[in-house]
Amino acid sequence: MFAYAARRLMATIPLLILASFLIFWTVNEIGDPRDKLAACATCDQSAYDRLVDLYELDKPVVIRWGSWLGNIAFHGDMGTALSQGEDPVKPIVITRTKNTAMIAIPAFLTIVILAVALSVYSAIRQYSLSDYTITALSFAGIALPTFVLGLFLQVLWGIWIQDWLGIKPFYVTGKHTASFGDLVSSIVLPVITLSAVFIGAESRFGRSAMLEIINADYIRTARAKGLPERRVIFKHALRNALIPFITIWALDFAALLGGSVITESIFSWPGLGPIFLTAITGQDIHLIMGIVLVVSMMAIGFNLIADLLYGVFDPRIRYD
Amino acid sequence: MIKRRLFKLLALLFAFALIAAACGDSSGSDDNAGGDSTTTTTEASSGGGDESTTTTAAPPETTETTAGEAMSSGGTLIWAHEQEPPDLHLSDPNNNLTITAWILQPLLEDLYGVDSTTSYYPELLAEEGVLTTNDDGSVTVDFKLRDGLMWSDGVPFTSEDVKFTYDTIMETDGEDEDGNPNYILSVSDRTGLDTITDFTVKSDTEFSVTWSDFFAGWKGVFGNILPAHALPGGAAEAEEALRDWTNAAGDILPSTGPMVFDSWEKGVSLKMVRNENYHGSHSPDAVNTGLAYVDGVTINFVPDTDAQINALKAGEADMIMTQPQLQFGERLSSDNQFTVASTAGPVFEHWGLNLLNVHLADPLVREALAYSLDKSEVMAGLYTPLFGDLLPAEGLGNTYWMSNQPAYVDHQTEWAGAQVDAAKTKLEEAGYTMGDDGFYTHPERGKLTLRVGTTGGNALRELQQQIIQEQMKKAGIEIVIDNVPGGAYFGEKPFSDEALAASASGGAEGDPTIWDITQFAWVGGPWPGGQSGAYKSDSGFAPYGFVNAEFDARSDECDATVDDATRADCYNELDTYVTTLQHGDDGLFMLPLTQKPSYYAYNSERLVSAGVAPDANLGGPLSNVYDFQFAG
Repeated sequence: MFAYAARRLMATIPLLILASFLIFWTVNEIGDPRDKLAACATCDQSAYDRLVDLYELDKPVVIRWGSWLGNIAFHGDMGTALSQGEDPVKPIVITRTKNTAMIAIPAFLTIVILAVALSVYSAIRQYSLSDYTITALSFAGIALPTFVLGLFLQVLWGIWIQDWLGIKPFYVTGKHTASFGDLVSSIVLPVITLSAVFIGAESRFGRSAMLEIINADYIRTARAKGLPERRVIFKHALRNALIPFITIWALDFAALLGGSVITESIFSWPGLGPIFLTAITGQDIHLIMGIVLVVSMMAIGFNLIADLLYGVFDPRIRYD
Repeated sequence: MIKRRLFKLLALLFAFALIAAACGDSSGSDDNAGGDSTTTTTEASSGGGDESTTTTAAPPETTETTAGEAMSSGGTLIWAHEQEPPDLHLSDPNNNLTITAWILQPLLEDLYGVDSTTSYYPELLAEEGVLTTNDDGSVTVDFKLRDGLMWSDGVPFTSEDVKFTYDTIMETDGEDEDGNPNYILSVSDRTGLDTITDFTVKSDTEFSVTWSDFFAGWKGVFGNILPAHALPGGAAEAEEALRDWTNAAGDILPSTGPMVFDSWEKGVSLKMVRNENYHGSHSPDAVNTGLAYVDGVTINFVPDTDAQINALKAGEADMIMTQPQLQFGERLSSDNQFTVASTAGPVFEHWGLNLLNVHLADPLVREALAYSLDKSEVMAGLYTPLFGDLLPAEGLGNTYWMSNQPAYVDHQTEWAGAQVDAAKTKLEEAGYTMGDDGFYTHPERGKLTLRVGTTGGNALRELQQQIIQEQMKKAGIEIVIDNVPGGAYFGEKPFSDEALAASASGGAEGDPTIWDITQFAWVGGPWPGGQSGAYKSDSGFAPYGFVNAEFDARSDECDATVDDATRADCYNELDTYVTTLQHGDDGLFMLPLTQKPSYYAYNSERLVSAGVAPDANLGGPLSNVYDFQFAG
C-alpha cells in the first residue's frame, strides 16, 4: 500500500506541473493586469512599471510560469496578491482554506451521514410512504438552486423566525467568532445550503446501490442462513454499497474544500470561493494560481485516499 | 486482513498529515501572519506616535430631542456592503476604488470638503483660501487652518502636515531611463501638484502655495492630509503604511476625521471607533457639529446584495448602500421599520462616438442617433420605478455638470424623446436608403451597423445597451453589442495604442476601425475640468477623433478662469462643443445617458437620525457619520 501510494503521489507531480502551466497560460491569455489602468488618464509610467515588475510582464509566459513555479518549489513563495493589497498569497490561501474547511467539513459529515442513512432507510422500505417522501425531498434538494435555498434559509431564520425564546438561533451573514456558540450559529445555514444538493443526489444514488445489493443472491443466502436483518443490512449490504460512494465522497470533499462561490458569497463567508472570484475579476494571476494549485492538490489527494479506501472495504482489491 | 489494511491506511494518513504540517506556514501558529486575515487589533487605540492614547467607548447617554423622541449616544453602526477594498491605499492606481474612498472619508479630512450639492466648502480651513495672481503669471493661495485642530492621538494638526503630504506625494528616488521622475508613492493623479513651485509654511496654522499658473482644481489638490509625525520614513513608509493603515512602528495611523481605524479582518469586517479628539465638521450638511454620536462603525463585507437586505431585516446590519435594484423597493420601501433613501450620484454613463468611423463621421448620422435615442425610456427602464423624479427623467444632458449641481444645464433637449421620424429624415438626408432588413444602407459606406462596447459583465450597462439597441433599430440603425469580457475592454478598444494614435492623427496613423461606440462611466465633481482631457487633441488620451483647436484653446481659457461662476459657465460652453453641433460639424459625439443614483436604506427603528445625502459627492454613506444616532 505504501509503495502504491508513493507511486501515485509521484505520478501527480508531472500532472500538477502540466496543469499549472495550462492554467497560467490561460489566465495570461484572458487579460493583462495593465488593462485596468487603460482608462486612467492621469496615471504615470510608474504605475505600469510596478505591474510589470510584480508580474514580470516583460518576459514570455513560459519564463514567468517557470519563475512562479521555481519560487514555490525552492522558496515556498506563491507570490503577492495584487487584488489583496499586495499581501503574500500563501497565508491568504491558508487562511481562506481554513475558513472554507470550517463549513466544508461539517457539510461533508452531514452529507455522509444523511446520504447513507436515507439511502438505507429508503431502500429497505421501497415504495413505502417514507420512501416516496425521501425521494420527493431528494429531488427537491437536487432541483433547488443553491442561491435560492441559501436566501430562503436567510429569510426563514433571519427574518421570519428571528429568535428562539430570545436567543438568535443563526446568523444569516458573516463569520462570528466571539464565542464557540457564535461560530456554530454562523456555520449552520451555510452547511445546510452546501450539503442539500449533495444529500439529495447521493441518497438517490445510494438507494439504487442498496436496492441492487439487497436483491443479490449473497444477501438472500445470508438471510436464508438466519442472520439477523440488522447484520444482513449493515455488515453485508451496506458495506458493499459504500464502495461506489467512496469515489463520490472523495470528489465531494475536494469540491467542498475548493470553496463554493455562491454559498460563501450569500453567507458572506470568507472562504476560497469569493476570493477566487475577486482574483479572477482582478486578473490577479498569483492568487488565481495559488488557489488553483491548492484545490488541485486537494482533488488529487482525496482521490488517492479514495483509491486506498477501496482496499479497506473490498479485500479483493490489490495495490500491486 | 481488513484491520491490517485499515491500520496501514491510518498510518499513511498520519504520515500525510505530518508532511502537510511540515509544509505549512513557517510562521508557526500565527494564523494571521501577514496575510489574508490581517486582523489588526488595537484595543481602540488611536496610536500613531509616542503619545498614543487609549480611547474608551463613551458611556451611553440618553438625551431627549425636541420631539420627545429618545436618542442616545453610543452604539456601533453596522454597515453591510458588498465590496471590500484590497487595501486602504486609495491613491494607488491599482486600488483607487469607490469603497476605499468611502472608508477613508471619516478617517482623513481634506482642506476642502465636498457637500451634497457637489460643491467645495472649507473643512480643515478656517476660511476660503485667498488667491493672488502674481506679476509673472503664477498664482499664490494663502491658507489658514482652523484653530485647535488635532490628530486623534492628541498631536496638533499643523501646516507641516499639509506640506508633508505634498512632499510625500512628490518624493522621488531619481529618474527613469526616459528622464521621468521615479515617484515613490503610488499616486494615480498628481495633476495640480506637479505645477506647484513653492510651498511656504508661515506658522502652525498658516501656509501659502504657489502654482506656476492658475489651476482651476486647486481646492481639491490637498485631500487626505497625512500625519507627518506618524510617518517619519516619508514616502517609502507611507507607501506601505497606507495599505493596512499601520506605520513601520506598528502604530495605527491617526485620524483627523470623526472616526479612527481600529481593525480589519479581511473578508469579514473593518472596524472604526470614534475619534474623541475630533474638531467637528464644517459641512453645510452636518446637523451634529461635535463628536460622532456612535461609538464606532463596523463595515461587514456581504458580497451578495440580496443577503445585504436580509442582514438588514435580520438586525445584523443597521444600514446598507448598494447597487440600485428592484428588491430595495419591493422588500424595504413598504416596511415602516426601514427608511429607504436615494441621491443622484456623481457617476454617469455615456456613449462616446468614434468620429473616425465611416458612418459616424457624418454629423447627420450622429444626429440620427441622438434623435432615435430616448433617454427617458432608458431612465424608465432602469431607474424611474425606483427613484421617481429624483433624477432627470429625460436623462442626463451634460458631461461636465451633474443634475444636482447648480451649474447643470441640459444641452441635448433638442433631441429629447423618441424622434424616430426625425432620425430617419436625417439619415435619408445623408444619402442612406432603407434596406430590406429594416436597416439603412449607404451606397459608399454600406449598411448602417455600429458596434457598441464596454466592459462585459455589468448587467446594468448591458441592459442599457439592449434598451438603446431596440430604440435605434426602430430608426433603421443596427447596433451590435460588442463587449469585452473582464476588464480588458478599454485597453483593447478605445484606449488601445492604435486607437489613440488614430484619434490624435485624425486617422492618418494607428487604426481607426477598432471601435465605433464606447460606453462607460465617468465621475462628476466640484471641478469638472478634468473631463476636457478626453476631448483635447493634445492630451494623448482623447479617443474620439475630435481634433478641434478652438476647443483646445477655449478649454485652456476655462481652466485659467479664476472666478468660479464664470468658469462654471465656461465649462458649460465646452460641453456644447461635444454634446451639440453649435460649434461645428465635429460636435455631438458625446451622448450622456444616465446619472447613476446612490441608494441606501437604514433601520429607522434603531437609528433615529442618519447622515444625509450619503453619496452625492462620492464620499459614501459615512460622509456625515457624526449624524448617525441610535434610538435610546
